Amino acid sequence: MHKIRYIAGKEVRHILRDSRSLMIAILMPILMTFVYGYAINLDTKNIRLAVLDFDRSVDSRELASRFYNSGYFLKPQVPPALSDPEKILRSGQAHAVLVIRAGLARALTNFTDYELGLLVDGADANVAAATGSYSNIMVASFLEDRMPYGFEVPGVRISQQVLYNSNLESSHFFVPGLIAIILMMISAMLTSVTIAREKETGTMEQLLTSPVTPRQIIIGKVLPYIALALLDAVLVIIFAMFHFGVPFAGSMLLLLFFGLIYVAAALSLGILISTLVSTQQLAMMMAQLTTVLPSVMLSGYIFEIKNMPAVLRYVSYLVPARYFIRIIRGVMLKGSDLSVLWGEAVFLVILAVVLLAIATKRFQLKIG
Amino acid sequence: MVRTILALMKKEFLQVFRDRNMLRMIFIMPIFQLILLGYVASTDVKLISTAVYDHDRSELSREYVRSLSAGEYFITDAPSIPLLEAERGFKENKYEAVLIIPDGFSNDLEQSKSVDVGFMVDGTNANSASIALGYASLMTRQFNERVTGFSPPIKLTQRKLFNPEGESVYYMVPGIVALLLTMITAMLSAMAIVREREIGTLEQLMVTPIRTPALILGKTIPFALIGFVEISLALFVGIMWFKIPFAGSWVLLYSLAFLYLFTTLGTGMFISTISTTQQQAMFFTWFFAMFAIMTSGFFAPIANMPKSIQYLTYLNPLRYFMTTVRGIMMKGASLDVLYPEVIAMIIFGLAIFTFSWMRFSKRVK
Repeated sequence: MHKIRYIAGKEVRHILRDSRSLMIAILMPILMTFVYGYAINLDTKNIRLAVLDFDRSVDSRELASRFYNSGYFLKPQVPPALSDPEKILRSGQAHAVLVIRAGLARALTNFTDYELGLLVDGADANVAAATGSYSNIMVASFLEDRMPYGFEVPGVRISQQVLYNSNLESSHFFVPGLIAIILMMISAMLTSVTIAREKETGTMEQLLTSPVTPRQIIIGKVLPYIALALLDAVLVIIFAMFHFGVPFAGSMLLLLFFGLIYVAAALSLGILISTLVSTQQLAMMMAQLTTVLPSVMLSGYIFEIKNMPAVLRYVSYLVPARYFIRIIRGVMLKGSDLSVLWGEAVFLVILAVVLLAIATKRFQLKIG
Repeated sequence: MVRTILALMKKEFLQVFRDRNMLRMIFIMPIFQLILLGYVASTDVKLISTAVYDHDRSELSREYVRSLSAGEYFITDAPSIPLLEAERGFKENKYEAVLIIPDGFSNDLEQSKSVDVGFMVDGTNANSASIALGYASLMTRQFNERVTGFSPPIKLTQRKLFNPEGESVYYMVPGIVALLLTMITAMLSAMAIVREREIGTLEQLMVTPIRTPALILGKTIPFALIGFVEISLALFVGIMWFKIPFAGSWVLLYSLAFLYLFTTLGTGMFISTISTTQQQAMFFTWFFAMFAIMTSGFFAPIANMPKSIQYLTYLNPLRYFMTTVRGIMMKGASLDVLYPEVIAMIIFGLAIFTFSWMRFSKRVK
C-alpha cells in the first residue's frame, strides 16, 4: 500500500511541478465550459432578415415590425438596397429576405389571394428550418389579428407544453454533456501521456527494477488523475449551475458514483493507449483520435445518434461517453434515478470492467 | 538563401515522410475525421418518436395522426404506457413528444369549430424541441386546410437558396476544410521547431551559417505545401464522396487559403516560442484551435452567441476563413461580397506573422 502511495506522491509532484500542464488541467475545463456553453448554442435567434417592402402601406410596415419585435429576427446592419435579394443573401448581410409585393393592403381588405415571398439562405440547414417555421408563425399570428372580431378559425389548434427545459435553453443541454468530454480528455489523455513519458525518458525500466509490481505502478499513477478528473467535474458542475443556471434536479451522489465508473473506463483507455505507443506525441494523438473524438462525435453530445448511418450507430454503443452523457443529462435535467437509468448504468459498468481488464492484462504483458 | 531554404525544406520533408506514424496522422486521420464528421454532423431534426393518446378513436383523429407522421418528422409508434406515467417515458427516453387528442375531436371539427390537442415535448434538447413544435404546427395547418376547407387568403411561399435540400453535410465539409488547414499547419510548424529545440539540434542549426529568415521560411513553407495537399484531399473526398456542390472559383479559394496561411503559420511559430517541449506545443496548439473552432461559427451560428462573445469572434481569424470557404463553395461568393473577410485576413496575417517572426528571431539570438 505504501508503495502505491510513493508512486502516487511522485506523480502528484510531477503534476504540481509542471505549472503549465497544471494550468491546462485546471483552467482548461472551466474555459472550455465557458466557451462551449456559449458557442454551441443552437437556439436560433437574431436571424438577420431584410424586408423588401414594395407595398409601402401601414399593413406592410406592421407585418415587418411584427417580425422584428418577435425576438427572432434582427434588421441587417446595412440597410439593403431594393435590388437583388439573391445578392443580399450571398453577401451574408442577411439570412433571409421577406419580399412584400404591392397589393398586401388591398388583399387584406378584400380577402383576395396574395403571396408573400420569403427567400432563405439554406446554407445552414438548421437555421433555414427555424427561419421558415418562425416566419410561418409570424404570418399566421398577423392574419389572426386581422380576422373579424369573434371569428373563430376552424380546425385543430396545438396547445403545447415543454417539459424539463421549458425556456428551451440549449446551454442546459450542452453544458452537462461537456462534463463527459472533459472527464474523458483529462483522464485518458493525461494518463496515456504520463506513462509514455516514463517510457520515453527511460524511467519506466528503473521503476520496474524497483520492488514495485506493475499493478502498483498503474494504481499509483492513475490515482492522482482520478482525483484531478473528479475535481474538474465538480468545478464544471458548479460553474454550470451558477453561471449558466443549469438545474440540478437529481442526486449529486448518484452522479459522482457514475462519474467514478466513467473515469475508470476513461483511465483504462488511457493505459491501453500507453501500451500501444512509445512517445508522448503519439500517445496524445492516439488519445485524441480514440477517446476525445468519439466522445464528441458519436456520443449524442452534439449530433443525434438516431440520425447516423447504422454502422456508426452500432459503433456508438462502444463509446463510454454515450452512456455517461445520458446519465448526466437525466440526473441533472430530469431528476432521473436508477429506476430509469439502469440500462445505461449496466452498459457503462460492463464497458469499464472490460476496458480495465484488457488494459491491466496488456500492461503486464508489455512489461513482463 | 534560396539554396539554404530548399535544403531545409528537403530535410523537413524527409523527416515527415520517414515517420510512418507522422504520415498517418497528417493524411489519413484528417480524412477519416472528415468522413466521420460528414456522416455524423447532422443537426437535422427528424424521426421524433411520439407517443399518441387518441381519446377520440375516429377516422378523423387517425388521419390527423397520419398527417403528422408524413414526411418522417414524427414517428408515432412509441410504446403506449398509461398517460399518468407519461413522464417515465420521457425519463427513459422512450419518446420525445406526446400527442393527446381529446374526446370529441372529430365532432368539433365536423361542426367547423376549433379544437385543442395537447402536445408535450421533452425540452432537454432545446433545439430539436423547438423545431419539433414548428413541424407540428406546420403539419396541423396543412391538415386544417385540407379538412375544413378554410385557408387564409395570404400565404407565405418560401424558397431556399444555396442548399435547398437542407443537407447539413454541405455546410459542414467546407467548415472542416477550414479547420484542417488551421490545425495541421499551425501544429506541424510549431512542433517542427520545438522538436529541434527539444533534441538540441536548434542550437546546431544556429551555429551554421543559416540566417534566421532562411530558417523560418524553411520551417514554414513545407507545412504550407502540406496544408495545400491536405485541403485538396479534403475537397476531393467531399466532392467525390459526399457529392458536395462547388459553386465558386477554385482559384479564389486557393489564393485566399494562401493568404490565410500567414495567420496559421504565424500562430505555429508563436506557439513554438512559448513552449519548451513538444507536449506543451501540442497542448497549446490544441488549446488555441479549440477556441478558434468554437468561436468561428463552425458548429453553431455566431448570431446565437451573447453579444460579448460575438465581439470576441471578430478577433478570431478562423471566423473569416470559415465564412470565405463556405461562401465560395456554397454560394459562389466572389471578392465583391468577400472583401471584408479578405481585408481582415490580410490584417491578421501580417500582424501575427510579423509579430511571431520578431519573437522568434529574438529567441533565436
